[in-house]
Amino acid sequence: MRHPNQATLALHAGADLGPFRRWLTARHVARCTYCSQEVAGYTEMRELLPELAELPEISWNRMAAEIKANVRLGLEAGECVRSEMPLHHASLAGWRAVVAFASVLVLVGGCLVLERPAPQMVHTAETSVASAKDGVQLQAGDNRMLGLMNVGAQKAVYHFDAQGSMGSRYTDPETGSITINTVSYAQ
Amino acid sequence: MGTTVLIGMSDVIEPGLELQERQNRFVSQHFRRIFVQIYHVVQNVADAQDLTQEAFIKALQHQEQLKDENKAAHWLSRIATNTAIDFLRRSGRATFCELDEAPESHSESPEQILLRSEHREYLEDGLRLLSARERAALIMRDVEGLPADEVAERMNCSKATVRSHIANGRTKFRRYMERRKR
Repeated sequence: MRHPNQATLALHAGADLGPFRRWLTARHVARCTYCSQEVAGYTEMRELLPELAELPEISWNRMAAEIKANVRLGLEAGECVRSEMPLHHASLAGWRAVVAFASVLVLVGGCLVLERPAPQMVHTAETSVASAKDGVQLQAGDNRMLGLMNVGAQKAVYHFDAQGSMGSRYTDPETGSITINTVSYAQ
Repeated sequence: MGTTVLIGMSDVIEPGLELQERQNRFVSQHFRRIFVQIYHVVQNVADAQDLTQEAFIKALQHQEQLKDENKAAHWLSRIATNTAIDFLRRSGRATFCELDEAPESHSESPEQILLRSEHREYLEDGLRLLSARERAALIMRDVEGLPADEVAERMNCSKATVRSHIANGRTKFRRYMERRKR
């Protein structure tokens, strides 16, 4: 014979089972001495518990006055705390705003640094300077070329810069005049 | 057991009356029932009084949460039950009933008072073995005689959970009684 567990018997003693389980358990208990004794034990226990409901002698009027006074005190204390809360919240909100603003600044700054176009390298591989008869030639790519010719000049000084210009300075041996030429690619 | 006065919050806290007066009326009309309810769980007058005050303060501070005014008494009972359960959990101890607080009748002899006090202490020792929720459920069901549905409502849990608490409470309490008999 399979017995109901203790929880079922405990609930059965207080009529706390659902209708079907109550019927099943009652049927079993009616035929089982052991379970019947268990249920009787729980019933006996339940009969003792209402003694805990007895109240000591209490001065209700005094207690009412004390409870009212203390409730009033508690509510007023709560109001004090609540009225201080917005200030506390405001300072917290201020700090939060500062932290949020700083975070946004850091983010924007970071983005600017990351997004800033890197300086493009000027590929000079295709630019070349070559000496020619009575002068120099500057060639950029396949189509652009500059030539600076100083026919008959001696000790001509040439200079070049990274922007694609070049110049020369020389002294005419016959007249003694100094000539300075500067040429550059149009942008 | 204290009388249950089902009274709506608006009946108690009528507009136009001084707030303090309305709150006092609310406390006056419910404190006895709430005190008894809490006392049954904690079994100590001083603790029950403190917890009654705490329950009223919580209720009055959050009265805007009460949506259905007809359920003010139930709502207050639920707050009281939770306050008592929280107390038992917090304190982690059972409270003793002082001898001079013990229920007494003027017709009883000192020996009878002592015997009854001992018996009460015996029952309270058994309650100590239960968890806070088992204890509250058992008290409400077997001491106050509330139906399991109402216990579930007060404890804000399902009926199945309450049945489980009640079954565990009864089983533990009975084992305790058997051990003490030996």
